Amino acid sequence: MLTFVGLGLYDERSITVEGRDALRAADHAFAEFYTSRLVGTSVDALESHHGIDIEIRDRAGVERNPDPILDAAEAGDAVFLTAGDAMISTTHVDLRLRAVDRGIDTRVVHGVTAQSAASGLTGLQNYRFGKAVTLPFPRAHGGDGVPNSVVDSVAANRERGLHTLVYLDIKVDDGRGPDAGERFMTADVAADLLAAEWPDRLAVAVARAGSPDPLVVADRLAALADRDFGDPLHLLVIPGEIHHVEADALRTLAEAPASLLPER
Amino acid sequence: MGRRKKIVQECERLMDKPENIRNIAIAAHVDHGKTTLTDNLLAGAGMISQDTAGEQLAMDTEEDEQERGITIDAANVSMTHEYEGDNHLINLIDTPGHVDFGGDVTRAMRAVDGALVVVDAVEGAMPQTETVLRQALREGVKPTLFINKVDRLISELQEGPQEMQDRLLSVIHDVNELIRGMTEEMDDITEDWTVGVEDGTVGFGSALYKWGVSMPSMQRTGMDFGDIIDLERADKRQELHDRTPLSDVVLDMVCEHFPNPLDAQPRRIPRIWRGDAESDLAGTMRLVDEDGELVMMVTDIGIDPHAGEIAAGRVFSGTIEKGQELYVSGTARQNRVQSVGIYMGGEREEVERVPAGNIAAVTGLKDAIAGSTVSSVEMTPFESIEHISEPVITKSVEARNMDDLPKLIETLQQVAKEDPTIQVEINEETGEHLISGQGELHLEVIGQRIERNQGIPINTGEPIVVYREAPQEASGEVEGVSPNRHNKFYITVETLSDDIVDEIQLGNVSMDMPELERREALQEAGMDKDTSQNVEHIHGTNILIDDTKGIQHLNETMELVVEGLEEALDDGPLAAEPVQGALIRLHDAKLHEDTIHRGPAQVIPAVREAVHRSLIDGEIRLLEPIQDVRIDVPSEHMGAASGEIQGRRGRVDDMYQEGDLMVIEGIAPVEEMIGFSSDIRSATEGRASWNTENAGFRVLADNLQPDLIEEIRQRKGMKLELPPSVDYI
Repeated sequence: MLTFVGLGLYDERSITVEGRDALRAADHAFAEFYTSRLVGTSVDALESHHGIDIEIRDRAGVERNPDPILDAAEAGDAVFLTAGDAMISTTHVDLRLRAVDRGIDTRVVHGVTAQSAASGLTGLQNYRFGKAVTLPFPRAHGGDGVPNSVVDSVAANRERGLHTLVYLDIKVDDGRGPDAGERFMTADVAADLLAAEWPDRLAVAVARAGSPDPLVVADRLAALADRDFGDPLHLLVIPGEIHHVEADALRTLAEAPASLLPER
Repeated sequence: MGRRKKIVQECERLMDKPENIRNIAIAAHVDHGKTTLTDNLLAGAGMISQDTAGEQLAMDTEEDEQERGITIDAANVSMTHEYEGDNHLINLIDTPGHVDFGGDVTRAMRAVDGALVVVDAVEGAMPQTETVLRQALREGVKPTLFINKVDRLISELQEGPQEMQDRLLSVIHDVNELIRGMTEEMDDITEDWTVGVEDGTVGFGSALYKWGVSMPSMQRTGMDFGDIIDLERADKRQELHDRTPLSDVVLDMVCEHFPNPLDAQPRRIPRIWRGDAESDLAGTMRLVDEDGELVMMVTDIGIDPHAGEIAAGRVFSGTIEKGQELYVSGTARQNRVQSVGIYMGGEREEVERVPAGNIAAVTGLKDAIAGSTVSSVEMTPFESIEHISEPVITKSVEARNMDDLPKLIETLQQVAKEDPTIQVEINEETGEHLISGQGELHLEVIGQRIERNQGIPINTGEPIVVYREAPQEASGEVEGVSPNRHNKFYITVETLSDDIVDEIQLGNVSMDMPELERREALQEAGMDKDTSQNVEHIHGTNILIDDTKGIQHLNETMELVVEGLEEALDDGPLAAEPVQGALIRLHDAKLHEDTIHRGPAQVIPAVREAVHRSLIDGEIRLLEPIQDVRIDVPSEHMGAASGEIQGRRGRVDDMYQEGDLMVIEGIAPVEEMIGFSSDIRSATEGRASWNTENAGFRVLADNLQPDLIEEIRQRKGMKLELPPSVDYI
């Protein structure tokens, strides 16, 4: 059996109870932290909290050489851990399909994902989001600045009045565990990149979603670019048309300047 | 020094009179006497003492050049000469004759308008004579001929007037055959460029004994061949020199028959520059306008112990002066000119300014390499200099003392900058760097320079031959899947025709040129229209064709596709040797919606593997470099000499008598030619003279492929077993 378990957003306690039970009962635990990670904890803390050894797999160890994971799942109960949810922004459906191919039973235990936080902390309604995008570090996608596809997706969402959730890139040196050489794009850097396109557009920065002290700030992109939002992880939402309750939420929960919100 | 200063002043005065300027190169087969001839000219112009001309070898500035008695780098010098009552400024570039240094010759040709081709009267036109002539004509440079070592005909071979005349005419005939063959298809050269005694475009003489004659000089001095033979036989060479000095004869010929920049540039600019012919820049270059925007082509980078790096080159338009901020092709920054000068012998003399039509020596152009275009406005760079010179031999170089490591790296980078036919691979981790060049001698000389000039003791490895990999047939479609399986690329490989590969190597097809021109050039070389319209990238002699239509996000991903492609081509699937002559077609692609899931870690391996698998499906094989070999040997040693070719997996193509010697021509692999020089010497008791020239790459016989592939893989520390799909060898 291969169980995909989402660890949630922040620390060793962000996992669901169901996920925790699956993890503690497993014969083998694997995790990947190259797509995202829990900033509020460490692998050691995770291991001691749950009383189980966790084997960290780098990108190649998941995508190119997943056999040790599948072998363990064939022989016993294996869990595969990721930050957030294993199947949302990071899609490990490929690994699940490979397991099914080998006749291994699979199961998904959901975790809280950035997508829930984007709605949950900003008050922007889940029904009104369009395509999500990831904003990569310049050069990481093979070009300078913001990739056209990101600009196009935001513009297309806007045209239809929809919000855009902007995931921010994280750079983890494959294979060296979660702490070595990593870099997180912060919301001010992201706002600065996007401000080149739309300096005056309203955006919402969300920092440390899922932690005890999340921060939510709405302002012009150019203004957000000058702020410091503290420790990672961050994300950004670019609202489309704003519903009156959404406007109230942004004003109250995110200190949005009145001038940027619809009057009623 | 007083005289020297006067010459500099006179040079400066003449620089502004393009009609009195001649920019010339002296080029010849190795050991036919260019450098000695050059010294004669310098002495004649009062630059070095008459007594030492012939011994001083002023142009051979590097110690190892004087030691070896051959010229290795092209060197520059300016001098003045009075012809028909009018003083002329002659800017001269001496070029190396050894074939390993051919890159220097081609670059020198870019800077000049006339080439004095020197041929040994005894040996006649040799393979390298043909090569330098071709290099000159390709650049639109007009040739004249000087037949050297005529004294040997008289004193050594005891030839009479008739025999001598016959021999000289046959040399002229051979050279003219070459010129005619090469200029036939050049439609911008309408006049007859063959040389003749009657025209005065041929001179004869002895650079060693400093005398020379030509038809005009004989008319002027009243000396004929009979007089010369008498004086030479009577050992009255000093009198011969006094009565008909070599330098006058040659310099008169230069002034009379070589075009000045005003005549040459209108013809040469369209040949060497592909920019807009209607632009102002094209106009000022054609007109040699010293008031136009500055355009200079750098042909040589030298090092001065005091001034640092010196960029020498031809000013085609405008005037170069200290303090100018200039663009250097291929870099984004501007460089500031720190000083400008001209060359006097081995030394540089600073001057205020150097106007169009001259050869300048400039400091401050930090980003320039040999071949750079330097200009005061951004412009289309000059055609890359046409010299097919892929490195065929590599040697490892490491510093004997760890402390020298940074200095060695710096020196190696410098070496690559000075000589673009050298490739340098720096490996900071192992400290074992690789230099690749044109031949054993080429690398040996570079190694010695590092030790001697920079004082860095080094260890060099055994020479290693550079191989290539090339597909032999069209492949089926291969699917490349990214590690996360969200992206797919569909790729096939075909072989490129030799014509197209040649055009790429000659620089006639490149990504730097306007798309329309590239398309036309490719179609002319035989590529079909649709394919030529979809060229996305050229890497080495390989072309990527994008046959996809309307795939979302592909344009954003193409840079990564190209990166994956280049990795696959730089390290081919058989032995990680460079791939050549492959046409890679991208037919279709499936991409993930989000950039992060189609980033470098996904796209590069997917493309790399797809390219490798399609190359294997196209039955890729290892190619080895081969050389044309020519041996001149007395007939009693002919068997031994031809055996030296045949015993090296070579092929003898032709054997014929020439004079009292037999000539053997053939080809042999570079790998087998390592150590040839000592073997042929002992096989022929030192009686053979020989010449080799790189002749491209050839598919290695199938029975030799597996062992060689394994050997290379072992040397490179790769896995020894090949992918199982390589089952066709």
